[in-house]
Amino acid sequence: MSTETSDKKIYGILAEVRNPKELIDIARTVNKNGYKKYDTFSPFPIHGIDKAMSLQKSKLGWIVLSHGLIGLTGALAMIYFMMVVDYPLNISGKSLMNIPAWIPVTFELTILLSAFGAVFGMFFLNGLPKLNHPLFTSENFKKATNDGFFICIEAEDPQFEPEKVHHLLSDAGATNIEEIRDDT
Amino acid sequence: MSDQKTNDTTYWKSLNELAKNKEYQKYAEREFPEDASELTDQVSRRSFLRVMGASIALAGFASCRKPMQKILPYSRQPEEQVLGVPNFYATSMPFQDTVAGLLIENSEGRPSKVEGNEQHPSTRGKTSIYHQAAILGMYDPDRSRNPQLAGEQVSYSDFAEFAASHFAETDRNILFISDASSSPTRHRLKTDIQSRFPNSQWVTHEPFSDDNRVEGTNLAFGQRLRTVNHFDEANIVVSFDDDFMTPSGHKNSVEAAWQFSMARNVNAVEDTMSRLYSIENSYSITGSMADHRLRLKSSEIEAMIFALAARLSQDLNGLDAYTDYSNSMSGHEMVETLAGELIANRSNTILTAGTGYSPAVHATISALNSALGNIGTTVTLHNLPFRDNVDNTTAFAEAVSQAQAGAFDTVVILGTNPVFTAAADLQFADAISNVETKIHLSEYVDETSRACDWHVNQAHFMEAWGDGYAYTGQRSIIQPQIAPLFEGVSDIELLHTILTGESGSGYDLVQNTWRNVLSGNFEREWERVLHDGIDDNSDGFSNASVSIQSGFASQIIPMLETSITDRIEITIKPDPTLFDGRYANNGWLQELPDPMTKITWDNVALMSPSTARSLGLPAERDFASDEVPMVRIDTGDGAIEIAAWVQPGHADDSITLYAGYGRNTIGRVADGVGVNIYPLRTTGAPYYRTADISAVDRMYEIACTQDHNSIEGRDMVRAATLDEYRENPNFSTYESVHGYEVPGIDAAERESDDYLAKGGPISLFDEQYGPDYQPQWGMAIDLNTCFGCGVCTIACQAENNIPVVGKREVSRRRIMHWIRTDRYYEGDEDNPGVYHQPVPCMHCELAPCEQVCPVAATVHSEDGMNQMTYNRCIGTRYCANNCPFKVRRFNFFNYSDEYLTTGDDPEIIQMAMNPEVTIRFRGVMEKCSYCVQRVNRAKIETRKATGSRKPEDGTVKTACQQACPANAISFGDLTDRNSVVSQHKMNERNYVMLEEINVRPRTSYLAKLRNPNPELS
Amino acid sequence: MSKTYEYVPEPALVKGNHDFSSINSLITDINLRPTPKGWYIAFGLSNLLLFVLLGSIAYLIWEGTGIWGLNQPVGWGWAIINFVWWVGIGHAGTLISAILFLFRQDWRTAINRFAEAMTIFAVMCAGIFPAIHVGRIWVIYWVFPIPNSMVMWPNFNSPLLWDVFAVSTYFTVSLLFWYVGLVPDFATLRDRIKSKVGKMVYGVAALGWRGSNRHWWNYEKAYMILAGLATPLVLSVHTIVSFDFAVSIIPGWHTTIFPPYFVAGAVFSGFAMVLTLMIICRKIYGLEDIMTVDHIEKMNLIILVTGSMVGFAYLMEFFIAWYSQVEYEKAIFIIRATGPYAWAYWIMISCNVISPQFFWSKKLRRNVTFTFIISIVVNIGMWFERFVITVTSLSTDYLPSSWGYFSPTIWDVLTYVGTFGLFFTFFLLFLRFMPMVAVAEIKGAMPQADPHNYDPETGDYSPQEIEIPEPNKESV
Repeated sequence: MSTETSDKKIYGILAEVRNPKELIDIARTVNKNGYKKYDTFSPFPIHGIDKAMSLQKSKLGWIVLSHGLIGLTGALAMIYFMMVVDYPLNISGKSLMNIPAWIPVTFELTILLSAFGAVFGMFFLNGLPKLNHPLFTSENFKKATNDGFFICIEAEDPQFEPEKVHHLLSDAGATNIEEIRDDT
Repeated sequence: MSDQKTNDTTYWKSLNELAKNKEYQKYAEREFPEDASELTDQVSRRSFLRVMGASIALAGFASCRKPMQKILPYSRQPEEQVLGVPNFYATSMPFQDTVAGLLIENSEGRPSKVEGNEQHPSTRGKTSIYHQAAILGMYDPDRSRNPQLAGEQVSYSDFAEFAASHFAETDRNILFISDASSSPTRHRLKTDIQSRFPNSQWVTHEPFSDDNRVEGTNLAFGQRLRTVNHFDEANIVVSFDDDFMTPSGHKNSVEAAWQFSMARNVNAVEDTMSRLYSIENSYSITGSMADHRLRLKSSEIEAMIFALAARLSQDLNGLDAYTDYSNSMSGHEMVETLAGELIANRSNTILTAGTGYSPAVHATISALNSALGNIGTTVTLHNLPFRDNVDNTTAFAEAVSQAQAGAFDTVVILGTNPVFTAAADLQFADAISNVETKIHLSEYVDETSRACDWHVNQAHFMEAWGDGYAYTGQRSIIQPQIAPLFEGVSDIELLHTILTGESGSGYDLVQNTWRNVLSGNFEREWERVLHDGIDDNSDGFSNASVSIQSGFASQIIPMLETSITDRIEITIKPDPTLFDGRYANNGWLQELPDPMTKITWDNVALMSPSTARSLGLPAERDFASDEVPMVRIDTGDGAIEIAAWVQPGHADDSITLYAGYGRNTIGRVADGVGVNIYPLRTTGAPYYRTADISAVDRMYEIACTQDHNSIEGRDMVRAATLDEYRENPNFSTYESVHGYEVPGIDAAERESDDYLAKGGPISLFDEQYGPDYQPQWGMAIDLNTCFGCGVCTIACQAENNIPVVGKREVSRRRIMHWIRTDRYYEGDEDNPGVYHQPVPCMHCELAPCEQVCPVAATVHSEDGMNQMTYNRCIGTRYCANNCPFKVRRFNFFNYSDEYLTTGDDPEIIQMAMNPEVTIRFRGVMEKCSYCVQRVNRAKIETRKATGSRKPEDGTVKTACQQACPANAISFGDLTDRNSVVSQHKMNERNYVMLEEINVRPRTSYLAKLRNPNPELS
Repeated sequence: MSKTYEYVPEPALVKGNHDFSSINSLITDINLRPTPKGWYIAFGLSNLLLFVLLGSIAYLIWEGTGIWGLNQPVGWGWAIINFVWWVGIGHAGTLISAILFLFRQDWRTAINRFAEAMTIFAVMCAGIFPAIHVGRIWVIYWVFPIPNSMVMWPNFNSPLLWDVFAVSTYFTVSLLFWYVGLVPDFATLRDRIKSKVGKMVYGVAALGWRGSNRHWWNYEKAYMILAGLATPLVLSVHTIVSFDFAVSIIPGWHTTIFPPYFVAGAVFSGFAMVLTLMIICRKIYGLEDIMTVDHIEKMNLIILVTGSMVGFAYLMEFFIAWYSQVEYEKAIFIIRATGPYAWAYWIMISCNVISPQFFWSKKLRRNVTFTFIISIVVNIGMWFERFVITVTSLSTDYLPSSWGYFSPTIWDVLTYVGTFGLFFTFFLLFLRFMPMVAVAEIKGAMPQADPHNYDPETGDYSPQEIEIPEPNKESV
């Protein structure tokens, strides 16, 4: 407990639990105690943890929808400009507004743009890429991508007090409780 | 391209270059070509094309030289023909002892395209494949480029020096062997020569001439006469193996074909058609037009003619000679039928026999014609002012044996190539080896040149002055289109040198002749003749008055015994595309599919399916392979091995061989192609004879452009008899063919004569059509007159710079021709009907090729043409796949580049190209463009002249249309109701292929008609 | 009451008793342990083939399309056949990861990474052909709507152009899908690998993933949406490929059945290819616990179904040809079965229609060797299907005069063989450097991952009894 002796600013307190169930439980406790800035870590998504942490519905859907619409209208506009406005040609005697023939390309571009939205939107919402993070200073945390289940309460939380957090976590049965400091 | 006049120093300079050029020396001096089979493998296919240009850089100067004498442009334009920007000069093309009137398109001082001369009866603006291909023949870099003495290159003045001394001794025993010629000038010089050299002898040698026909008239009437058949006058034409519509079968084929199609031209139910009976051994294109065709061995045909005469002698006077005669063909049902027809149509019939048959046969034909009263009406006979009153064939044979015996110290051979073409038993080469001095004038250093010590390079007819008579006797002057590319001399110039020892000018020689011919102001008359290309004061040879000569019977009777055996018989004919071999080095003709077999680059042994089976050969070709079995043909005098080809409709126990192939030392194109069959030919049996045939255990690759012969019961070709047509004029509509309307079509719409309203089946789209203020181009092809000669293909090739791709590429089905002629057999394999169908691009209204191109490289123009944008094409070949007619052609390799830019002096072959048409490069698609360059030229001219967008009907002629001797192709503006093409499209025989797939072709067809004898059906 | 049916519990996805970390090492150790010799040999061989491909492409560009056996009626040959064949194979991956995901088929986790990788490399092989089969390869970029010297645009009516968009979209989306799945596993490798360079590389690839459940929350959403997008995409791609034929007017091509029929064929060949590769890898890398016989059986069932669908399509084509009474349609199908290409047709039938029928037998379904053989047979058959469609229709279409036979040249063969070089070069790199099974996903699919499988009191792992539905308690 040498918080003040260290020169580096404290980032948060990390604790480990044994399995998904305990992670849910501890997450629920922390959440009940009114902590906002905390996070749980597991090697795979855990069902039901969203309720325990009372996470908001993801905004990703809207991002994808908007991209999809851009793809749709963009494609139609492009083809219309190219085939009808800019360089109209008599091709097989077909009418210039040969919409049925435009569907495949329009469809593909809609999908493509939506997919971009989904992937890059997700990374954006998750604040990734973020190649460096205080948690990576903890050797123990490496297990998070293997078989470790962690919870971390961050110093930014208004009601963050190292001792209280300590007790809260240890009472909830967490082990390997350690303070994480900004490595900058 | 600087100096406009021939510059001797330049010439000598280039000769030195010639001497320096290793590659050329090697070629010129080597006895036999290094590899005769160059064309057969794909890599050296390219090397063949390279050597097409290989030799001295001479043409660079040639290309910009104008002739030195004054020649006149063809400025006054006949009706219905507006000639374009380039100048057109009238000239005429000699072929044996005839000339055909031509116009030569001359761009920037170089001839680039041959058309017929509208004013000349021999062509009437039409052409044959030989005329069209003459351009490439002149620009052939393999032509001999200088005189040679014992293979050493010398100059013509060297020869003149030699001649001056050699022919100073006028008592020499000189043998002149010449090709047949109708030139008055040459005739004049010939008489001079005969008087100057009393001991000289002059004989004519043509391997395939109509001498026997002439001898026939001599036998029958006691005069050597030219027989002219007027096919447009006859109701009944009986052709005994006379392929009079093919240039290889008849010297006047263009006029003959035109007349025949006139007599068969049906535009309405009331029109009449002549009837053609064809009795032949192999399937000729004339036979394919026949209403009744009988296949017989040549010996049987001969017998049938005699039998027919015998039969008719019962009803007609003047045939007493045949009264008691009979043979195995007597009583043949065809004899009876013919007898009935001929008697019923007296003096409106024509009988004619193939030139190969004996004088006796032709005498009989003449006798029949005169007995039937045809002479003077449908058949006329004429004296030939230039012809010696001798039998050329025997005269030549005798002369050769005298030479063998050493009777001559000098032999002068003009043009002809006897070492290659003379009958095998004459052993010509051996014979003239006993002659001390041998002089040969020829365009190529050929077999005969190698057997002679002096070779003089002959000028092409487009390079030299000359003159001649048309087949029917109109006089024409041959005016050169360009100064000789290789400094060649003409036959008359050579004769002049022999006479005087000086090199003379053909111009003066011809003028000297014509001074005595033309009356009035010579200069004016001369220019008029040059301008028109014909001396219209000369209206043909005078008719000879004839009657069967006394003693005809006694002469003919001993000749009538026939030699029919059950052994297999070979019949030797000139090749439809190469003739006797003189055109063997012409890439266009080599690659033109044979009209019947569709074989390119080879000759084969044609036989009937059952004959093939009897020889243990398959009667059907393996669709999956180009290999065909070979046979050995042994006549006792000679033997050859040649690929066997099954020709449905060929006579049984008979094999037809085409001469002209198997040349070895004349040029890169000809060398090693096909088999030389002259060794099988003897003076005794020049036409047909029995032989031993045996299958050989070897296969041979044949490049055939049509692998599937049957039409599979499909409706591409629609036909009816004249009577059926009269009963049901709409026999060719989709409904009458299939029994139901095209699904979803608005029939009312289709019946309308407004092409814009002409609908197809209902469509999901509202179609775009060409706007009405533009001409809307369309084409109609009359299958009733088309006889499949293939001149459209060559004309198109010449007009549109289509490359020659070589045998291997053709056998891979990569031929580049924009218009092909499909040939379908119908009925039983022994005597099937044959249909010819020219297929250019259909220029579909709703072109399936356009919508599938990812880069819009093929789209529709405002005047309704389906256009290819070469420089936009990326070569996906999707358009070709999606073309139901498979008319698109892809540049799989850089054909044009190989064809035009390799070798030391590619300029030569380049000069043959049409400057108005883009050369296509590797990886792009190409196809028939409706000769868009001609169309646009006409549109521009019209716009300038009248301000109208729409050229007069007939001002635009596509190359194929202009060349077609049968007027089968019509092209024009569909918005003009009165244009010929609109009329044709409103004709009830008009139909389009594949109507049900609703691509709406702009090219339509007029259904074929036949006129069979009602009694036989 | 008599028992109406028996309740069959889902077999466990992972055999043997593994916990998270043992699974973790089982898969990722493959990437961490030193490269085995065998890998180098295999890699060398596939490099050789890759050079064959590059060589024949170089010669093609130098000499021209003429080096192939193409001719006047048959303008498309092996290039297009190979293109369609590879694209078809490339359908399994996305199908497995997307459609099976939407259907909550958890068994997919064992093979989806693997299949997606195969998809991407197969599509790369496929993509080569449309690019090189054109006559003027150097202007191939004209198919993209980018301004050029001709101020022209591509023709959006052309199925080939649709192809350009479909295939490139498919490739991009598959790649993203694959990468998204890979991110957590890269993180795993980052945290396990010792070497500095490895840490850097995997670290960058993992984008700093740390397993935060707030991230997982968006992540799963994204994955779900991607799956939702990829599903219609994967169906559309082969549909559009089939348009290349169906939109044209050539008999035997102009058929409305093509889209479903092509898609079924694609799944068919794709699954076969996955099996071929999987059966080899599970043996070599000892992953029998993850890629179990149950997986093989499930995939064989799909092969059986799709194979039968393809067979049905063949019959349907004949029926419609007869029913429509279009003479050219009728003709082409008779020619296919009896004409010059009958040999190809019957190879196709026996490989695609007959061979999968063996999988009606459970024994054969679960027989690894037999499955391996069939999986290869199926892909041979599917190649011939494309051959039959492409070549026969072109070589004998409307005008008998232009009928012609197609036979390939050595260059056709070498180019095709070469693409296997490309495929295996990339595939071997994948096996070496990326976890060939989706580690995170498979952990999530293990019973230990389910919070309900823990004792509420002690919090120890205690899997619950299987819930047996009411009506037939007594049946068990």
